[in-house]
Amino acid sequence: MIKKTLTSCIYCGCGCGMYLISDGNKLIGTQPSENHPVTKGSLCVKGWNAHEFGNKKSRLTHPLIKENGKFRKASWDEAYKLIADKFQTAQKKHGNDSVAFFSSAKTSNEENYLMMKLSRAVFKTNNVDHCARLCHASTVAGLAATFGSGAMTNSIEEFERADCFFIIGSDTSSQHPLIGSRIINSVKNRGAKLLLMDPRKIHLSQMATVHAQHKNGTDVALLNGLMHIIIREGLEDKKFIEDRTENYNELKELVKDYNPQYVSKITGVPQEQLIEIAKIYATTRKAMIVYSMGITQHITGTDNVKSCANIAMLTGHVGIECAGVNPLRGQNNVQGACDMGALPVCFTSYQKVTDENVRKKFEKAWGVTNLPAENGLTVTEVVDGLGSGKVQALYIMGENPVVSDPNQNHVIECLEKANFLVVQDIFLTPTAEYADVVLPAASFAEKDGTITSTERRCERMRKAIDAPGEAKPDWQILGEFAKVCGYDKMMYDGPKKIMDEITTVSPHYAGMKYSRLEPFGLSWPCLDDNHPGTTYLHKDKFAKGKGTFMPRPYIEPNELPDEEYNFLLSTGRIYWHFHTRTMSGNTTTLEREAPVPYVEINPADARELGVRNGGKLKVTSRRGTLELIATVTDKVCVKSCFIPFHYIEGPANILTNNAIDPVAKIPELKVCAVKIEKV
Amino acid sequence: MTKKVINKSDISKLLKDANNEYNVYVPMEHIGGDVLFSLLSKENNTLEDDIKRINLSSEKTVNSPKEIFYPQLDTMMEYNDKGEIKETVENSKKLVFGVRPCDFHAIAHQDHFFSKDYEDKYYLSRRDDSLIVVIGCNQPPLPNECFCTSVGTGPFLTEKFDIQLVDLGDYYLVEIGNEKGADFVNKHEKYFSAPFRDEIKHAESTKLEAEENVTLKVNFNKALQIMKTEEIPQDNLERIAERCIECGACVYVCPTCTCFDVFDDMKDGQGVRCRIWDTCVFSGYTKEASGHNPGAKKEYRAARRYEHKLKYDTLESGISGCIGCGRCLHSCPVDIGMSNFIKEITTNQKYH
Ligand code: SF4
Ligand code: SF4
Repeated sequence: MIKKTLTSCIYCGCGCGMYLISDGNKLIGTQPSENHPVTKGSLCVKGWNAHEFGNKKSRLTHPLIKENGKFRKASWDEAYKLIADKFQTAQKKHGNDSVAFFSSAKTSNEENYLMMKLSRAVFKTNNVDHCARLCHASTVAGLAATFGSGAMTNSIEEFERADCFFIIGSDTSSQHPLIGSRIINSVKNRGAKLLLMDPRKIHLSQMATVHAQHKNGTDVALLNGLMHIIIREGLEDKKFIEDRTENYNELKELVKDYNPQYVSKITGVPQEQLIEIAKIYATTRKAMIVYSMGITQHITGTDNVKSCANIAMLTGHVGIECAGVNPLRGQNNVQGACDMGALPVCFTSYQKVTDENVRKKFEKAWGVTNLPAENGLTVTEVVDGLGSGKVQALYIMGENPVVSDPNQNHVIECLEKANFLVVQDIFLTPTAEYADVVLPAASFAEKDGTITSTERRCERMRKAIDAPGEAKPDWQILGEFAKVCGYDKMMYDGPKKIMDEITTVSPHYAGMKYSRLEPFGLSWPCLDDNHPGTTYLHKDKFAKGKGTFMPRPYIEPNELPDEEYNFLLSTGRIYWHFHTRTMSGNTTTLEREAPVPYVEINPADARELGVRNGGKLKVTSRRGTLELIATVTDKVCVKSCFIPFHYIEGPANILTNNAIDPVAKIPELKVCAVKIEKV
Repeated sequence: MTKKVINKSDISKLLKDANNEYNVYVPMEHIGGDVLFSLLSKENNTLEDDIKRINLSSEKTVNSPKEIFYPQLDTMMEYNDKGEIKETVENSKKLVFGVRPCDFHAIAHQDHFFSKDYEDKYYLSRRDDSLIVVIGCNQPPLPNECFCTSVGTGPFLTEKFDIQLVDLGDYYLVEIGNEKGADFVNKHEKYFSAPFRDEIKHAESTKLEAEENVTLKVNFNKALQIMKTEEIPQDNLERIAERCIECGACVYVCPTCTCFDVFDDMKDGQGVRCRIWDTCVFSGYTKEASGHNPGAKKEYRAARRYEHKLKYDTLESGISGCIGCGRCLHSCPVDIGMSNFIKEITTNQKYH
């Protein structure tokens, strides 16, 4: 029986609405929604192929328990009891904070909410976090400090009408294709200006008004330099600064030193380009800043984000239609996972765990006492904690740190040391191999729920097909597990009931009842049952009242090339794959397009190394070494290289540096030093 | 040609009756007003709701009915390590109701393709026992993208159909094109009556008006001629390539595209072999075992697609591979489309 079910794409943060086609046993196709405001009859290749991976025979179908180094099938009951026992024993011996939970940006809002509820209400620890730590932790910190809200200020539809795109550290057309396409259309059809700042040549470079290839990690210097020029030329928005912001003088003071000559020297960008960018951005009213991992994944990630906020406030390009600061979230529900409080410092709607009134509110809502008052550990700290013994047991839902986290050897060492590890996923991932218990989860197509896309749009995902074998939706697993642990207030009829609870404790989501999310969702803040949702933020007033300039000085990346490690390595995603390839690697077309890991190097370097396109190279950093196929391309500058991080067969993260941003604790995945040899 | 009329209010009754004998595929409204070809439920409790959602007005489905005979992902066989093979062939009796004229031409194109060199049983078994009811387009469903009049595929068919409906307000004029169609109408004769002369006249004028309503015109014949004899200017291809984000939509939504890839999925001695829609606009499509790729550049692949549709298909079978449905332009996130391409090569103006 053929059935078509509208749901939300599982891949990037665009939040496309798509129909999954099922024949009753398996999924047999995907079609875009015509009326969904982002999708409009289009999808990118990942979306078009979203039906395939879930059918694979290698899906997890039973709980597994490891015995003598081998997995055996187990019943749910046995698995729950074992986990409960191990977690409770660890806490008895080592204290509440000796256990930790990784939530997932690939699961629904409801499931993220339950994961943080499990951690806080049942296990009384704030050690709950998820992979936003590796992507936009710096956004959450940086924009909260400057604007009061760490999310995209505008909606995706506004990209169709903006006149200037200031893109820094985002390969938009390949990572957020349906935002990228709007940029391309605006540039090509309407003559919108495209100011691109990216060390690599990317698809958008071809049509950029200016493409500045600044050196990796020099973003703060670059942005300060642009602000210097804007102030020098008198192009700042004086009224906006006066009425809506504070701390301007400090900014002015700081950027004084960042004259074009100095900035050009640091960044490698010619002075004329700096001036051109500054002038075009400052003088175009509908100007959007767009950024992504190129800004956030640095030890100065939070500083980078603050600097983006600074330049937007300086020019008054925020709080109006088609202008603002737009961090593009990489995963379908990374915005939601943050909103739901799957973070060590806050409950839903960013309500702080350190605030007693907030805790009281949640204690009452959840029927518990003594919610933990101290901030918990982040993803990166938990992994270290496993190594040092500070963390004894870890419960991972839908994450794959062996492939996604920096310094893979270190991660594996820590996971091996872990006393007890639970992994809940749809496939036996490289991380699950290290688990003591593996729990089979339903895929996005096999459950109901909501996700919140990058434009803060909370929209429905709907069940199109049954999960294979005994696999269950994460929300159900978490509820049942909590019950085995002695807490029965996490058993629900379904996600709708969970959302009902979320709306009562989360101001941003107060009006997000399921009945109101038809057909295509609402963007937060949605403050009550009649609130229409919010297309762009900070109109008339910043979320925190006045916007605060947070001037930051330029600090060098943690590890730059030297004589021995003479190449700069940057890592990232490619269009055809998604993160750790758990899904895209099980999709024929995507896998065919990019089947093997590779390293991009510049033709000049290739000549020097004597390697041709397709030849083999050995890439070594202070932390590890990899053999990869060479892709010779002028996309990367001389003495730079790029490796996609998707592949366990050639894991870029064996090389990357786990130095972290002191505020957001995000690792510097975008810069480290390597040496390259011909094999 | 025999003609009848049917009241619009009788369509749901007709389809309910037919549902006992056929699997009925019909454009149905989904959440938020999306109209998609969908299968009528066989269960009484959900059938009523499905019937209410039927939408035969001027909406075009994002995907054509291609997927009914040629699903995006199709299991071809199941096998095991004992050497047992079970082919999975679907051959239910189908009524596809509400097919647009251009899409009907596309089905004819597919019929030809899937039987010319070898008998593709996965397609043909699905297609064999099917009856297609076409509904002409009084208004072009995609007003900015449909260009059927330039290709000669719409907005109404003149021949070869089973049944064609002409929307005349409260009722349809029913044109019966062959025996298969006649059998169906006879079997359900209680819903059909003989038309008055006025109604036939009304239908004629409706068809003429419909022709006028398709405002996007391209010089299709000139394009075919140019493609046969000239090279596509490099500049056109480069501009297309510069926009393209490689989503594959132009191929996925195209009702005449037929390429597929085959994969196996095995575990514990059990396997399935499936085929999935493939697309020539991706680089891996032409990658050779040596690693060399004649289609490495996006512009070559764009050229390949246009050449296949406009040149080789026409040379090979006399029918062009484009039927003017407008879907590729409509679903392209960056406004690349067949009609724009044709306009560019025939007028020397820039549309991309
Ligand atoms: S653009 Fe993003 S959300 Fe849309 S189909 Fe592609 S991966 Fe999915
Ligand atoms: S090429 Fe475009 S217009 Fe022509 S049949 Fe295919 S989708 Fe329709």
